[in-house]
Amino acid sequence: MILKGRIWKLKDNIDTDLIYPGKYLPIIDAEEMALHALEGLDKEFPGKIKKGDIIVAGKNFGCGSSREQAATSLKSAGIACVVAKSFSRIFFRNAINQGLALVQSEKAHEFAEEGEQITIDFDIGELILNDKKLNFAPLPDFIAEILKSGGLIPYIKKKLKQK
Amino acid sequence: MKAPKKEELLRLQKKYKTDRKIAQAIGVPQYLVKYWRRKKRIDNFSETKYTEEKIRDLWERYGNDRDAGAELSISPSAFYKWRKKHNIKDKPKVLKMAQLELSFAQSSSSGSLTIAQKILARKAGKSKVEVGEIVEVEPDVVMSHDNAGLVIKQFKNIGVSKVWNPNKIVIPLDHRAPAESEKTANAHHQIRLFVKDQKIKNFYDINEGICHQVMVEKAHILPGELALGTDSHTTSYGCIGALSTGIGATEMAGIWALGKLWLKVPESIKIVFLGRLPLGVYAKDVILLVIKNLTSEGASYKSVEFYGEVVSEMSVSERFTLSNLSMEMGAKFAIVPFDKVTKRFLRNSSKRSYQPVWADKIAGYENEYEFNISKLAPQIACPHSVDNVKDVEELGDVKIDQVVLGSCTNGRLDDLEIAARILKGKRIHPDTRMLVLPCSKAVYLEALKKGIIRIFLESDCVVLNPGCGPCLGAHEGILAEGERCLATTNRNFKGRMGSSQSEVYLASPATAAATALKGKIADPRDFLKKIWRG
Repeated sequence: MILKGRIWKLKDNIDTDLIYPGKYLPIIDAEEMALHALEGLDKEFPGKIKKGDIIVAGKNFGCGSSREQAATSLKSAGIACVVAKSFSRIFFRNAINQGLALVQSEKAHEFAEEGEQITIDFDIGELILNDKKLNFAPLPDFIAEILKSGGLIPYIKKKLKQK
Repeated sequence: MKAPKKEELLRLQKKYKTDRKIAQAIGVPQYLVKYWRRKKRIDNFSETKYTEEKIRDLWERYGNDRDAGAELSISPSAFYKWRKKHNIKDKPKVLKMAQLELSFAQSSSSGSLTIAQKILARKAGKSKVEVGEIVEVEPDVVMSHDNAGLVIKQFKNIGVSKVWNPNKIVIPLDHRAPAESEKTANAHHQIRLFVKDQKIKNFYDINEGICHQVMVEKAHILPGELALGTDSHTTSYGCIGALSTGIGATEMAGIWALGKLWLKVPESIKIVFLGRLPLGVYAKDVILLVIKNLTSEGASYKSVEFYGEVVSEMSVSERFTLSNLSMEMGAKFAIVPFDKVTKRFLRNSSKRSYQPVWADKIAGYENEYEFNISKLAPQIACPHSVDNVKDVEELGDVKIDQVVLGSCTNGRLDDLEIAARILKGKRIHPDTRMLVLPCSKAVYLEALKKGIIRIFLESDCVVLNPGCGPCLGAHEGILAEGERCLATTNRNFKGRMGSSQSEVYLASPATAAATALKGKIADPRDFLKKIWRG
C-alpha cells in the first residue's frame, strides 16, 4: 500500500481534548464526529482537512483520554495516516481498531513541511519527504491485518465467518 | 399469609440469611418460614454455603477464627462453628498467608518477574511471559461507563447476539449523570435496555458514583486480577494490587463478543519513595512530583510499581490517587503491591477469594526511581499539561474563579474530610465558586453522617451528585472564556473543562480548600498550621 498526501504538521503531546473535545462525546455517528476533528486545536481545522491528508506530529500523539472518537473523527474527516515520533498507548490501539494507519518515525517531524507532500510506502516501510527517504519499522503481522481489514469490527467479522 | 414463590424466598434468604430474620422482615412467625422453605426444598441458608474445602483453606491461611471469618464477612464464633461442623480442629502448622508474606519480605524465590508479568502469565495460562511478548487474555472483569452506548453500537455491528459473559461486565453511569442532553439521555436509555436484555446484573444507574470508585468499592476487581475498561483512568485498580488498564470502545465490543484481547507484556519501572509526608502534603502532591520528573510520556506503555514506607502507610484511597494519576505519565498499569492495608480494606467488601501477586525481589525493572518526599511542598500542575508541575510557592498571585473538589482522583472521604477541616467555620472568597462532588453514594452518605456536607454548604460550596461532570467539561460547572479553575481532578488540557480560552490547575484537596478561601492559589500549610495550633 502506498499513500500520498498533504502534510499537517503538529507539535508534541497533541492530547485527546485537542483532537476531540469532551463536549462532543455523546455523538455516536462517525460522519458527525468528523465535523469536530482537531477542533480543540483550531476551530477552523475540521473545515480545512481534505480527504487523504496526512498528519505529521511530534511525540506522545493522542495522550489523555481513552475516547476512541479521537481516532474515529480523524479517520472519518479524511486523514489517511498519522505519522508521529511516538503515540500514546490507547490512541495507538484505537487507531488500529478504527482502521486509521499509523507510522512511528523519529525523524519525519524534522523534515516535514506543512502543506508539502509526503509519500508512505507500507510494503517496504519507507516514507519520502522532499526527496529525503526515511525507513520505519512495519507493524506486527496481526496488527497489520486488523488495519488491512479496515479495523477491528470487519476483522472480527471476517474471523467469525472463517470459523 | 400466602406462601411466597420460590425465587422470592431465595431472594429473602440471600438478604436476611436466617429464618428468624426473614420472619421478622416480612412479619410472620419463624416456623412458617421454615415450613415454606422445606416445602419448596430450600436448604437452610448456611448449610450449603461453605464447603469443608473452603473452610480448611481459610483456616490454613490465617490460623485464627477472627481473620478467617473476616474473609467471609462472618463473626469469629460463626467461623468457629463452621470449623467444628467440618471437624477441622488442629492448628495449621504453617500459615499460607504468613508464608506468602514471608516470601514477599524475604523474597526467597529466585525468579525475576514483575507483577505485570506474573498476572499476565496467569491470565494467559502460561508459567512465564517475557517482556515484549504479545499474549491473548480473558479479563476477570470489564468496565464501561456512559460510553457503553458506543460499545453497544459496535457490538451490534459485529452481529453476535449474546455477550460472552454477562457476569463479568460492569456498567456504572457517571460521565453525564443525570443526562445533560437529549443525545446522552438516548444513550443512557439504550444502555438500560441492553443490560436488561443481556442480563448484565452489575449495572449501576446514575445514583451510584464514579465508575472506578464503584469498581473498587463493590469489589468487582480484586488483587491479582485483570480488569479492562473503556476509560483511561482504569489504571486506578492498581491501588489494590490488580492489573488494570484502559482501552477503546470498539475493542471492548470485541471483548463483549469474544471474551479476549491481545496485550503486550510491558516493561516495568519501580518507583520508591523515601521519607515521610510533611504537613499539608498528600498522595496527590507525591504523584504530581513523579509526573513532573518523568514527564507526560515517561511511563508510556509501562507498568509502574510503587514502593516505600510512605506507600505502605497510605490508605487504599491514597493509593488510588497514585494509580489513577499515573495514567498522566502514560502508564499502562500502576500498582501498589498487596499488603496488610489492602487486606484490611477488602475484609468488608470482598465476598470472593483472591490470590495476590508480588514481584520477585530481583525483578527485571527497566528503570528504578527514588524520590525523597520529606521536604516536598504542595504541588500544582499548571496549564496545559499535567507534567507542568510547580511548588505552590513558585506561583505568584493566581486568581481562581472556580474550585472543583471531587473526581476519581480525589473525591473520597479522606479528601472531603481534609478540605472540610480547612473550610470549617469559614466562607469561601466571594469571587470564587466551589463545587464539591463526593465520588460515590457511599462516600456521600458517610460524609453526610460525619457532618462534612454541612460544612461545605455553610462555607458556600455547591455540593453536586457523585459523578464526573465538570472534570471533563461535560456539564455542571463549565468554564467561561478567560476563567481559571483549580481542581483536584486529573487533567488540565487546554479546553478540558470548558472554553479553550480557560485554564485549569491541578492540586490536592487541601490546596483546593485553601485556594477557595483566598480566591487565589494558596498554600494549605498556612491553614493547617493554625488548625494544628488550635
